[in-house]
Amino acid sequence: MNMLTVQDLRKSFGDFEAVKGVAFTVDKGESYGLLGPNGAGKSTTINMITGLFPPTSGEIRIKDIDVIKNPKQAQKWIGVVPQEIALYQTMSARENLKFWGRMYDLSGDELEKSVDQVLEIIGLTERAKDKVETFSGGMKRRVNIGAAILHRPELLIMDEPTVGIDPQSRNHILETVKRLNSEGMTIIYTSHYMEEVEYLCERIGIVDHGQLIASGTLRELRETIGDQSRIILTIDKENANVEQITRMLTGRFSEGNIQIQDHQVMIFHKEPQLILSDFIQSVTKTGTKITAVDIVEPNLESVFLHLTGRNLRD
Amino acid sequence: MMKVWWLARKDLLLVARDKKAFLTLILMPLLLIAILGSAFGNMMKEEDEITIKKFTLGVVNLDQGQLSEVLTEEVFSKNLSKQIQVKYYQEDDLYKKIKDHKLTVGIIIEKDFTQSLMTGKGTKVKLLSVPDTFINTTIVQNVIEQFSRSIPIEAVASQMAQPVQGGNQNSSVQEGYGKKPLLNETTIDSKTKPVSSFQYYAAAMGVMFLLMTVVQGVSTMILEKEQDVYQRLLLTNLTYPNYLLGKMIGLIIICLTQAFIIIVGTRLIFGVDWGPSISGIAVMTLAFVVNASGLGVLAGSFIKTEKAFNVAGMFGTQIMAALGGSMAPLYIFPDWIIFVTKFLPNGLALQTYLDLMSGAAFSKILPAIAGSIGLGLFFFTIGLIRLSIERRGRYA
Repeated sequence: MNMLTVQDLRKSFGDFEAVKGVAFTVDKGESYGLLGPNGAGKSTTINMITGLFPPTSGEIRIKDIDVIKNPKQAQKWIGVVPQEIALYQTMSARENLKFWGRMYDLSGDELEKSVDQVLEIIGLTERAKDKVETFSGGMKRRVNIGAAILHRPELLIMDEPTVGIDPQSRNHILETVKRLNSEGMTIIYTSHYMEEVEYLCERIGIVDHGQLIASGTLRELRETIGDQSRIILTIDKENANVEQITRMLTGRFSEGNIQIQDHQVMIFHKEPQLILSDFIQSVTKTGTKITAVDIVEPNLESVFLHLTGRNLRD
Repeated sequence: MMKVWWLARKDLLLVARDKKAFLTLILMPLLLIAILGSAFGNMMKEEDEITIKKFTLGVVNLDQGQLSEVLTEEVFSKNLSKQIQVKYYQEDDLYKKIKDHKLTVGIIIEKDFTQSLMTGKGTKVKLLSVPDTFINTTIVQNVIEQFSRSIPIEAVASQMAQPVQGGNQNSSVQEGYGKKPLLNETTIDSKTKPVSSFQYYAAAMGVMFLLMTVVQGVSTMILEKEQDVYQRLLLTNLTYPNYLLGKMIGLIIICLTQAFIIIVGTRLIFGVDWGPSISGIAVMTLAFVVNASGLGVLAGSFIKTEKAFNVAGMFGTQIMAALGGSMAPLYIFPDWIIFVTKFLPNGLALQTYLDLMSGAAFSKILPAIAGSIGLGLFFFTIGLIRLSIERRGRYA
């Protein structure tokens, strides 16, 4: 059963088309990742799915509810973790959670029980009475997530929930999301950190310039680049002759697999160890100084690079 | 519907924890009332020396006799020329001038003034004044009383010197003297009493700071709209009308609390008398907050960012405070400004507070309350329509 169905979703701001015909489905209990660089259109897509912004055209359904026609009805099923910290800083963690719980019609024992459970899930029971303004960035993010799961939503939508936090808090958040998903909560997770999406999501949609350029499981996406690893030569840019390197490499390797970016020369290959020596020699012959050599296993970064010619963090 | 209350309660909690807000909302008004009330309050200590400025006395002389001429020309115009300037009016004009605060004191000398004094029957000079100028009124009152008392004595002396004209007139003069009132003092509203400087500035500063609180409240609403908590609120079960209602209720409670503290504080610390009608003060405060909040929401619907609203709010508050009489007493302004101030939430509120302090009954201020709430609802409706149109374009 589809928890979410998005069809031909479009959003324009004046002449600028931010989302261009995005379409995907998310099954009940699934965790779906939307991966893309900053400004790709992920947040705009999320804001339309949650019923916050009206789309220019397209269709969004949560379960059987038309989000565009009945946003309030659909919002009962969803919890949203916004990109920014949407909390009251001078209120304590417990006060914040109680307030947001009340906004979702929780009250009495049900509210108290839910707040206690959420504090435990986000690991802040001991700090429940402290004001949010005294928390670290990671702790604030955990409360930010807690406020979205008080009413036990069936669909949890998280918009870049780990931006700017320490590794320990990030791990805690990722574990929390994994646990919620394992308990049956459907997750939509947007990020420009491919490691997070790879770790959490069963299926992934890659968004760039407002379009969903690829979608599938991690394995399916890897197959779009032939499951090829990437050899990366970091070069000294000062004495590098890019034209000469390009000419040299295209004569010896398949042209579509070579990419030269800034101070890196890259080549995709299923068995990198077979061509490593030849690749290094070819670059060295042009008089270019190589400062580092890396072999990267096929991942989402490679897929994005292969599809767009750009890095995710560009 | 409970969500509306929880939203309002949350705003109250945030304000209660904001030390800066506490200083602005409570301490600043009390401090300014103390400074301004003391600076302008020459009536606060009776033993202090008082400098009396020259003032204009409006006179309507309906008497045909000589004594009224002596009183106005010799006594007021010549002997008291350093203190009083006499101007003559028709009866209706004098009433209007006093009512409009263009004159502070006026007298109407009735047509049988001379004859009555000469025969010792006593007479009535109608003394008109605005509520908060009791020194000028007292001076005029004393002069008339001294003059009126001296005339029968002089008349007796004159009659004793002219026995031919004697008869039993002598005894009637003495009977009349001291028995009948010589002067009938009336303010424009016969039940009103003077308002002291401390009272004036307690009301004026209270109104100005309530206005500032409303601006601050609307500014916070705009700031919240710029932040993610607003979007998060819209994603809960809270509807947009409930959101606005919750914010308004929160703002009204904050303002009423502030007004309560200012009123009780000035009463306990400075002994300010806010008049006998506590219900009048409470309802007028509520009406004023509704009016000011409506104006704030209307202004906020046209101004997009919190920063821009803060700047506009600061200028707007100062201009409205100046025009509305919070900085200088209302009656020194020209007629057109006094008329315009009745359409300003703070101007209307201040005038009504002063009426209440002067002893006006609750029934007398009902038109002001109705006008204030009516204007507030009108402003709020226009603002709400504009906000809804804007919101539909932006949010689902």
